[in-house]
This record gives sequence, structure tokens and C-alpha cells, in this order.
Amino acid sequence: MAWSKWSYMDHWVTETPQGPQPPSFNRAHMDRYVKQLSALGFRGFDTFFFYLPMLAGMYGSVPAFERFLQDNGFDKITGIFSAYPYATRYTAPHVRETHDRIFADCEATVRAVDGLSVENFIVMPSTTYFQVEPVTEEKIKVMADLWNRVGRMTLEHGMKTTCHFEFWGAIRTREQLDLFFSHTDPELVFFFCDTAQHTIAGVDPVQMFRDYRDRCTGFHFKDTHTVDEHEAYRTPPDPELMAPEVTRWFYEMGTDGGLVDFPALMREIVASGYDGWLTVEHDKAELGGGSYAEATCVAKWYIDNVLAEVSR
Amino acid sequence: MKDTLRWAYALNQWNFRLDVFVRHSDQLRALKTLSACGFDHVELPAGTGRWDNLARPEVILLNHGDHAGFLDFLRRGSVRGVSSVYWDPGQPVEEEGWAFRSTANRHDHDAIVESAKPFVEFCAGVGAEQLVVRPVGSAWMSPPPDAHGLRTVGELWNRVGELAAAVGVGLALHYDCLGAVHTEAELVGLLEATDPALVGLALDTAEFTIGGIDPVAFYQRHAGRVTHVHLKDTRYADTGQEYRMPGAETTMLRGGAGRRIERWFFELGTEGGLVDVKAFVAALRSRAYPGWVVVESDHGGNPAELAMLNSWYLQYELSVAKS
Amino acid sequence: MSERRIKWSYMDHWRSNGPAGPVDQWHSHRTMSAFLKQIKAVGFDAIDTFDFRLWQMYGDYGGPAGYQQMVQDHGLERIVNTFHAADYDLRDYAPHVPETHERILEDFRVTMGHWSVIQLDNIIVMPATLYYDMEPVTADKLKITAELWNQVGEITAGYGVRLTCHHEFFCGIQSEPDIDTFYAYTDPRYVSLFVDTAQHCIASVDPVALYRRHAHRVSGFHFKDTRDVATGDDHRHRPDSEIMAPTTGKWFYEMGTPHGLVDFEAMMTAVRDNEYRGWISVEHDKANKDGGDFSEATAVARWYAANVLEEIYR
Repeated sequence: MAWSKWSYMDHWVTETPQGPQPPSFNRAHMDRYVKQLSALGFRGFDTFFFYLPMLAGMYGSVPAFERFLQDNGFDKITGIFSAYPYATRYTAPHVRETHDRIFADCEATVRAVDGLSVENFIVMPSTTYFQVEPVTEEKIKVMADLWNRVGRMTLEHGMKTTCHFEFWGAIRTREQLDLFFSHTDPELVFFFCDTAQHTIAGVDPVQMFRDYRDRCTGFHFKDTHTVDEHEAYRTPPDPELMAPEVTRWFYEMGTDGGLVDFPALMREIVASGYDGWLTVEHDKAELGGGSYAEATCVAKWYIDNVLAEVSR
Repeated sequence: MKDTLRWAYALNQWNFRLDVFVRHSDQLRALKTLSACGFDHVELPAGTGRWDNLARPEVILLNHGDHAGFLDFLRRGSVRGVSSVYWDPGQPVEEEGWAFRSTANRHDHDAIVESAKPFVEFCAGVGAEQLVVRPVGSAWMSPPPDAHGLRTVGELWNRVGELAAAVGVGLALHYDCLGAVHTEAELVGLLEATDPALVGLALDTAEFTIGGIDPVAFYQRHAGRVTHVHLKDTRYADTGQEYRMPGAETTMLRGGAGRRIERWFFELGTEGGLVDVKAFVAALRSRAYPGWVVVESDHGGNPAELAMLNSWYLQYELSVAKS
Repeated sequence: MSERRIKWSYMDHWRSNGPAGPVDQWHSHRTMSAFLKQIKAVGFDAIDTFDFRLWQMYGDYGGPAGYQQMVQDHGLERIVNTFHAADYDLRDYAPHVPETHERILEDFRVTMGHWSVIQLDNIIVMPATLYYDMEPVTADKLKITAELWNQVGEITAGYGVRLTCHHEFFCGIQSEPDIDTFYAYTDPRYVSLFVDTAQHCIASVDPVALYRRHAHRVSGFHFKDTRDVATGDDHRHRPDSEIMAPTTGKWFYEMGTPHGLVDFEAMMTAVRDNEYRGWISVEHDKANKDGGDFSEATAVARWYAANVLEEIYR
């Protein structure tokens, strides 16, 4: 039977009278967005921690938003993404003095989804590389300590803290990933495999999954056309947007020139007995004249026609 | 533009969503667009984080090295300088740990004055004449201000005004249609609670009109306090209480509820525009208004298109020579 | 103030966002007014149009004169050139097929009659069918084609309008030898050259060198840029090279685009050296592809003209 637990990671742009805006523009646009995802058959919805207050305001409460999702064929909100991409004096995972503040933020996010059955608390374990370098084992250990602490707390609320590694984060090479995972408690801190981010950083996401299968709780299925061979990852202040050589890093599954071997990964996933969610993501699909609506349809076509063959 | 009035253009309409206006090449295109339209000074909107590299002083400087480096960048797009910077201290920012502050809360005043410093220093460093600020938070979030409340807010802005004046920068309070200072009486009360030598008023023609204040008549009565102008149009006025809808930024200004009007601000010369732009500009001229007139059309749609239509209006309806 | 030797016209390509998606400027009076305002605002002096717009001019504006009045009401001088984009068809409308010539000549008699209510400078044509319908391109075919355009040029000259040829990278006459041969066969009194900088670059023809060689025949320009040279069968890709050729989905860019192949500064220097006086038309077909935007592309192009090219010659 074809895999059906597909969730969608909340990135979207829609045309409004004020130009292209996220669907949080107003309730009508948000409803339309959910309906579009529903029409394609997504069952899970992952979103950002900073959208929770907006959803609560717009739908009356976060559970009310989840009920709206359910009325549209979704099972539930499946994951919440929490991040500190940019280090400040208040929050920086590699700076121990900021851990209490980060922990308190995570507690607040967890409270915001109280009563629901969100599965993944997805985190960016570090900030941008250039703010951390040199990346030492000591700094990685400090970050690991933080996420062990957060992971213990989120588990008490039924969520797994699971780590998602950007190509421009401080923990990016295979060696750094292994070091980080060795310093974290496998019962408390898990692995979230973003296929494009690892590929850009020169790490094979399929191999990562093989090696960390027991700790893997989720995926971002997205593609890229470029491996970072110009140290773009250390471009201040924003490598993703300002790398001189690259105007667009991320693409939906199934584009010409895509580097991720999704069928191979799908085979591994099916063979492993993994039974969690698979998440579709394509950040900044609007670059170069793209549209989120179309990119998402094309990704879902790929799932239904290419990956379904593999996952039967 | 070649005129006795000084014309600038607001860059806020290009930064319409999070991370769309970050690459220097895209920003240079916007600057060239404005230059081709006849504008050679820009107003910067404040922002936060690494994506606001035309908006948050620390990030601007990280991108361009120093103030001179930033001005060189502007000049590559044939823009000669910065007229002003707009800042809302009530908007939580990453650089301050997302702290929520209110100008109506005396206990927040020290922190707000401290958080004004990067903007004041930046204005001085790039030769911007005015720091334009949102004086109070949205009306739907608090009770209407009384005399005491207006005095409290006034005291804060006197302090910031003093900071700014010390480095040759003016401070202008920008009235907006959602602000807790809403009626003309409240606005005048706020102005009276401030020192005219330190604090001026930024008169935004569309915001005034939506809020129910005639910008032409107000300017005639209070010209001496108006030190900055935002020139834009609207097709709608608040029916009276819409600004009080909870979440008015979305429910009113993005049509989430009520009359479901999804766009409020328009370019000059728009069909059905409510602002008497010609009368307003004539009034500015009649009083020899000395400040900047910043044309803008934020929250409106295609930024280049709106800038070009605004430019045409200046040239053909207001007879402002382009060069 | 010294008289300007060069004035800038904008060629009829536009999209703006309407409530029902992107529309061109001919969509309504309102969109046309917005377009003309933007063109004027950034400093263009006039416009060029496609001549298939004639029917919209009649329907919406009362005809070319009425439409030109609207253009002038927005501060622009006039319509300078029209582009006669014919539907070439080997059966009845093909410059290298003599049996179709009478039909083509009649088409131009009627067309010039329509336009005679205003004064155009040029009527611009693609002088051959699509490459794949003309090949192999022989000297005989070039001669027949040249003879046709001599006759057409005589018709248009009667209206004070120059017949001028614009060589798309996908048209039958696009290589350097074929272009030179074609102009040798044509009568300079009746047939001019209209240099499109990008089209020539794409076809591996240096537009600056071409212009210098034929400067006395040149009656106008399209200043636009490209980032790609056509390779392989791009120029003969059925059914439409411009849209469907494999090399790129976007051939054209505004002047001064990063990685552009056209040397506009050399071009402008050549214009100056030849003491060309008159109009340069700015064009950027399909600027809205790949996330582009016509309003912005047009403003940036005019900035480039004002700040780079006019420093060389104005």
C-alpha cells in the first residue's frame, strides 16, 4: 500500500491585493491555503512556533485550528519548528548563559500546543556557522547539553525534540553531526533528516538515515540543484539568501537537475519499518517566478506517481 | 525631482514580506527604479534580523562596513542619501530579545530610550534628518489615552527627542489610523505634551484621512509642528470604530473582518482617492514647509509599478520637474 | 539647452497584475493609462507598438489617431514605430515564395492606409519566415525576399515611412553572411536595417560590428540584452524557438542585466561615431518570466540609458 502519512511544512505565498503575502494575511486566505493542501491529500501539518499565536487569534485557539484542519481531511498538527537562526545576546545555543532563556521559550511553545498530540518538536540545533566558528567539540557539547535538557522536557509532553541541520548551521559536516549525536542522549534527542540541507552540505541524506535510523523521527523531503562548493555556508549575514553564486537553493521534489535520490531514500524508509510522517517542504518556491501552489502539486504528483511505486 | 519642496521615497513597499528584499542586486534594482522615477533620497523602514539589511542599523552596517560604505551602496543606484528612518518601538525585535514594550508604560521608558540609540546614531551617521516614530501602540490593545496617559507618552518622546537633537537629528511622531492616539483632540493633546523644540509631527495624508482627520485643514492649523510628511492616498475612511476591532492590523487593514477591505493604501492619483493631494501640497508650499515630503505606497502591490505611478503624478498632476 | 540627438522609445511589451491574473496594457483603458504613466514617469519620450494592435485601437480608442492622442495626453510624444508581426505561412504569406508576394503587397497597402492618419518613422518587419520554413537558405531565396521588400518599401515610402528589417535569431535570415547578402540585394532607398542587439547576439552575430558595417542603412534599434547564445537547433526549433528552444526558457533581458552579452557601451559609442540622430527603442520581451517584472525592468533599463549610455552620447 502506498505511503499515506504525508505532512506539509508550512511555507506559502498567495496573491493578495497587497501583493504576494503569506496566507496569514487574513482568515479567508488561510482557509484557502488549508483547502489547497487538503485537496492534494496531505494528512499532517507542520508549522513554525511563531505562527501559533497567529493561528490562535485567527481560529480562536490552536486546538480550534487543528479541528479546522481535521474538517479538511488532516489528522492533526504533526510538528512544530523552533529555531534561533541568528545568535543574539539573548539566545544562542552554543552560549551556555542563554540556555535558560531558550529552555523557557521551548516551554512556552510546548504549552501553546497543550492537549494536542503533536509528535515532533523540530529544532535547529545551532545558529549560523559564521557566528559560531571556529566550531569546536566543546561548542558542540554545549549545544548538545541544551537539547538534552529541552528533549527531556518535550518528551514529558509527548513530543520528541528532533534536530534539523541547515547547510549554513554550525553543525553541518558528517563529522560534526556524528559528534553532536554522540554527545546527545539517544532517548532524548532525535534526528530530523532534511534531504536538501544535507545534500548542499555534502552529506548523503540516505546514508545519514541508514546510520541514524533508530533516532530518526522525520524528514523534510525537498530537493536542491547545488552542492555548496564555494563556502557559501559562511556568508554573513545570511548564506541562504545572499550567496553570490546561488540565487535559489531549494526546489520541490522531481525537478530537472535535482540532486536528491528520493526513490533510494524511500526504499530505505520502507525497508526500515519507519512508521512516522514524511514531510514535504520547499522553501522559497516563489523564487524565479515559481508558485507554492504549483510546486506543491508537482511534489504531490511525484509522491503519487514515483515514490508510490517504490513504497508499495 | 527639481523643486522647492524636497521629495523622497519610502523603501518600505519593497520589503513586503520577511525575506524578499535581501540580496544587494535586488536592492540596487529598487534604487535604480527610484532614480529613474526622479527620486534621489529614500526613507528606510526599521526592521529586525539578518534579512532587514536595509532596515536594522546593525545589519546594515554588517552588510556595508560603515555609514560611508552604505551611502556608497546607495549611490551605485544613483540614490544620494537617506531622508529619514521610520521606527516603531512597540514592535518586538530579535536584537532586544523580542521584548514587548509600550510607550504608555513608564516602566518601559528607560529601555525604549536605550533602544532608540542605534537608530539615532544611524541617522546621524548617514545624514538622515528625521527619526520618524510610532508614538503609541494600537488602540485595540489599550484603553483610550487620558491627559495623564498623553503626558506619559509625551515625556518619553521628549527624552528621545533630546537624544536625537544632541546629534542634529529631528524626531517626528507619525500618526497612524490604528494608533491609540486616534482623534484630533488626542493628537493635539499629545503634541501639547511634547516640547516643540524636540518633537515634531509626521503627517501621513492617508493615515490621517482613514482616521477621520482632514490632513489639509490639520496642516493649516498646526503647520509649525509638522516636520515630516508621508504622502499617499486611500480609498476608504474608517467608519468610526473599525480601528478598535481586535487584531485590527489583520481584521481591518487586511480585510479579515468587518467590511473585508483588503487594501487601504493607494498610490497618488488612484481612482476614488480621498486625499486632496493637490490642496495638501499647495498648503505645504504656501507655508514654505521646510521638511521632507516622502512619497510612499506601502501595502499596495507591485512596488516598481506604484513608484512609477507616483512619479507620474508628481510630474503631471503636481507639475514637479523631474530634473 | 543643446538639442538631444537621441530620444528613447519603449516597445510594446507589458504585463501587470490584475484581479484575474496578469494582463497586458491593452486590457482596458485603466491598464493602458497606468502603462503610459509608468513609461513617461521613468523618462521615455515615446512608444512603439505592434501593428496587430490596430484592431484594439479601433475598438477601444477610435483608431490609431485616437490612441495616439491618449499617448500624448500622458505626456509622451507619439507612436514612433510599428512592428508588423505577420503570420508567415508558406501557402500564402512567405517572402521567399514569389506566389505569395501579391498578397503581401496588398497587406501592406491596406496596413499603410490604416496607419496613414498618424506619422510613423518605421514599419518594422521580420524579413523572412521562421528559419525551419525557409531552409536551406539559398542566394536565390534571399534575392526573391529582397525583391519583395524593395516593393514593400516603395509602398511605405509613399507614406513617408521606412520599411526596416529586424532579424530574429529564429528567422530565415539570421546568420552574418545571409544578412550581408540580403542587404546587398536590397535597394537602400526602400529597405533599411533595424538592429536588435539581443537577437543578433543570440544568433552569434556581433551587433556592434554589424551596425558599423551597415550604419548608413540603419533606421532604428531595439536595445535589449540576452544571457545566452543559441546552440544546436535552437534557431529552428518547431514550433516556436523563442519559447521552446532547449537552451533557455528566457532569452531576453533589459539592458545592463548581470551576465548580459550585449556590449551596450560599445554599441552607444558606435551610434555616436556614426552620428546617428533619432530614436532608440528599448525592449525586453517577456521580462516577467522567471520572476521578473515589467515595471521594474523598464525603470532599470531607463536608469541604464540615463546613467551609462547617455554619458557616451545623448
